Amino acid sequence: MKIGLEIHVQLPTKSKMFCSCPTTDAPAPNTHVCPTCLGMPGSRPVLNRKVLEYGIMLAKLLGCRVADTTWFSRKTYFYPDMSKSVQITQYDNPVGEGGSYKMASGKVIRITRIHVEEDPGKTKRVGDLSSLVDYNRSGIPLAEIVTEPDLSTPAEAREFLKQLIADIRHVIDLPSDGERSIRCDCNISVGKERCEVKNVTGLKNVERALTYEVLRQTKILKSGGKIERETRRFDEEKGVTISVRKKEFEADYGYIDEPDLGIYDIRELAASIRIKESPQNRASRIASQYGIEPKMAKQLVSTSMGLADLFEEVAGKYDPQTAIKWVGGPITANWKAMEENGRSPEAVVGIIDRFTSGEITDSECTMEIRSAMTGESMESIQTASGGLEDLINAFLDENPEVVNDYRKNDKAINRVIGTVMKSSGGRYSSAEVVETAKRLVESRLRSQT
Amino acid sequence: MRYSLEQLRSANARYGMFHAMADTVEGDFQFSAKDNLTSKGMETCAGSRILEGYVPAFDATAISKIKAAGGTLVGKTNMDEFGFGTFSANSGFEIPRNPYDTDRACGGSSGGSACAAAVFEGHVSLGVSTGGSICCPASFCGVYGIAPTYGRVSRYGLIDYGNSLDKIGPISADAKDLRKFTYMIAGKDPKDPTSCVQPDGFGEDRPVRRVAVPKEGVEGLSQDVADAFEKALSKLDSLGIETETVDMPTLKYAMPAYYVLATSEASTNLARYVGMRYGRQDGDLSLKFDDYFSDVRSRCFGDEAKRRILLGTYTRMAGFRDRYYAKALQVRQAIIADYKRVFSDFDAVLAPTMPFVAPKFEDISKMSALDSYKADYLTVPANIAGTPHMSVPCGYDPDGMPIGMQFVTDHWNENLLFSTAELWQENFTARRPEVVM
Repeated sequence: MKIGLEIHVQLPTKSKMFCSCPTTDAPAPNTHVCPTCLGMPGSRPVLNRKVLEYGIMLAKLLGCRVADTTWFSRKTYFYPDMSKSVQITQYDNPVGEGGSYKMASGKVIRITRIHVEEDPGKTKRVGDLSSLVDYNRSGIPLAEIVTEPDLSTPAEAREFLKQLIADIRHVIDLPSDGERSIRCDCNISVGKERCEVKNVTGLKNVERALTYEVLRQTKILKSGGKIERETRRFDEEKGVTISVRKKEFEADYGYIDEPDLGIYDIRELAASIRIKESPQNRASRIASQYGIEPKMAKQLVSTSMGLADLFEEVAGKYDPQTAIKWVGGPITANWKAMEENGRSPEAVVGIIDRFTSGEITDSECTMEIRSAMTGESMESIQTASGGLEDLINAFLDENPEVVNDYRKNDKAINRVIGTVMKSSGGRYSSAEVVETAKRLVESRLRSQT
Repeated sequence: MRYSLEQLRSANARYGMFHAMADTVEGDFQFSAKDNLTSKGMETCAGSRILEGYVPAFDATAISKIKAAGGTLVGKTNMDEFGFGTFSANSGFEIPRNPYDTDRACGGSSGGSACAAAVFEGHVSLGVSTGGSICCPASFCGVYGIAPTYGRVSRYGLIDYGNSLDKIGPISADAKDLRKFTYMIAGKDPKDPTSCVQPDGFGEDRPVRRVAVPKEGVEGLSQDVADAFEKALSKLDSLGIETETVDMPTLKYAMPAYYVLATSEASTNLARYVGMRYGRQDGDLSLKFDDYFSDVRSRCFGDEAKRRILLGTYTRMAGFRDRYYAKALQVRQAIIADYKRVFSDFDAVLAPTMPFVAPKFEDISKMSALDSYKADYLTVPANIAGTPHMSVPCGYDPDGMPIGMQFVTDHWNENLLFSTAELWQENFTARRPEVVM
């Protein structure tokens, strides 16, 4: 099975791609419009340079060759939601070509190209006989990322998209409500011929649409039928794909160069753009650079880039083991509470410093970190954690075999956690229980050896 | 000279130069503009029925600059639909009539503009040239007209024919107006990025000294045109301007390349006219969208517009694109290189503007589409190269019909043309038409 995706991402510019209309949510249909995005005769596009910058950033994220010169093309468009009836897109010399993207699983997905183009407006059906068109979206910049057919299953396609979108969001500061503004055309072939499911919105629907296609195509092949090359659409409610047009009616887009816009030499611009490290790349780098478990690296990065920053700071200042112990332990455990309380982690490095110089003990360090991060007083933490530590120690005293079991299989700790969670009746958060149990078991283990 | 609304209307009844006209014409400085330049509050149709009723929300930059200089826009001039023609006979509205003989055409596609410039004294009209649409009517109507370098004048507000070819320029009976009005409307305009690459100046300011006459430019001329051009050459000689015959072998490819590029672009530009957002919106709403717009387009586009949409759609089809569209882009580069080669030795290239004088309407109706396309073979090369070019009146045939010649200079060198036109005007006796109002 082969799956390739064409992913459309709205770029977070303040104004539209070829005019100065805002890209923010409009108060009413057809209010964020002007002669240019309405395609009025005599109006003309003027390129928003920021679009090329975002295009270059994404090309770099995806390891593409960034073009020296890039330009735009006109593509015939067949529906009333594009005011000019042609779309300004890129055909020859797109911003980036020939890249690759490494998934967390290690699998590499080749990227064919990335280009920038304008979004059409929206058509809304009213009643049986008429439709309304809203051009507020018309001219919002999009990046289209085209992959080679390197994905093997619908689930993998979803995982790929999930990681890619997280990376894109981080690199170009895409707002997190941008999920809906990501649309996919999905190409899939179970046998030889491929079908394209157009304009699927959201990760879950991509997987659903592809899964349906796998079943549909497999069924046809099993019964001795032939898959026809065609374009289909996905019905979200019914969860099925529906044929839109057959190959012989495939569109001929009649591309020509866009004569109103010039040729852009983007060598200097591209050289000046440094992109932020994507979460995916950062997790792999942290894992290999500090020799920690990939799982932990991934957890650090996915919890927060700030947590990953702290990890690197501590690992650099002391050593990776100290960073694993403190950043991977109590700091990770308290991160969410810290964010919820609107606090910052700036004090924790000083606390770790006092621990490494022997000023404070292991458990004092843990409590101080928690106090600094959550704002709870030391007294209440001492009482609470004293209570928690007592509970765990009591359990371990009664069940000393757990410590030995843990040496062989770290899942043994789940017995401690389960029992304490139950007996404490939810007084402690699970993160807290896990962290304390691990710390106490490990300290017993160390004193044994 | 200032004309009253009655005089303008009366002239229009006889010559048919205007499509829309102003309701009031106060001010001494009157001008008109081709109907494919948008005018705020004044109907703009680009000669097409499909835009009937379209009143733009904004002025074209060229129009707003003249207004800012105190100009009063008195009317929008008749033209071939979207600029598709050589005689203004492909207008969806009225066809302008030649001031020297109203049975004859004004040329095209800026026919109404050249007509207005010939009829009204001291009147300047803005024309637009894609393949010769300023020089051709200027020549047929015995006036001066210039198409400046591509990109010199902002195209903001120009209803597109072929965006990579369209140029706006003034037409006037007075050579001095070419300089004055080109300076007025030129300049970088952030609303049209292609205008922003122009240099500040207009080049060396003196008449041309050495002029190349391409062999290819004196072939296929009518006897009257050939004779008048011959005389003009001796006159140039007497003014100290040297002429020499040269070979420009690429010129013969200009025509096919032009029609490929112009129609390819035109077919995309005209895609937006679906009877939905502006102009005609009177289709049958019970039809499906595809049928609705096909119906409006079938009814409202003229034959020539349909022909060029079909041609242009064909030349950019998958499988043909490389053979036609991409090839034409290469030909354009070869022609530009040929001009550059000549300009390394000469100030200008010169040939008659049109191979014959303004034809009679009855003869035009007998011409095939190809015959009229071919009539542009002298004006198309400079247009495809984007080089500035100017038609000046240079003689009259035995019936008194004007004959023009066309100077072409290197990119951004309009001053050579202005100075040459001014010198020529001092030494050439122009005949005014007998205007009846």
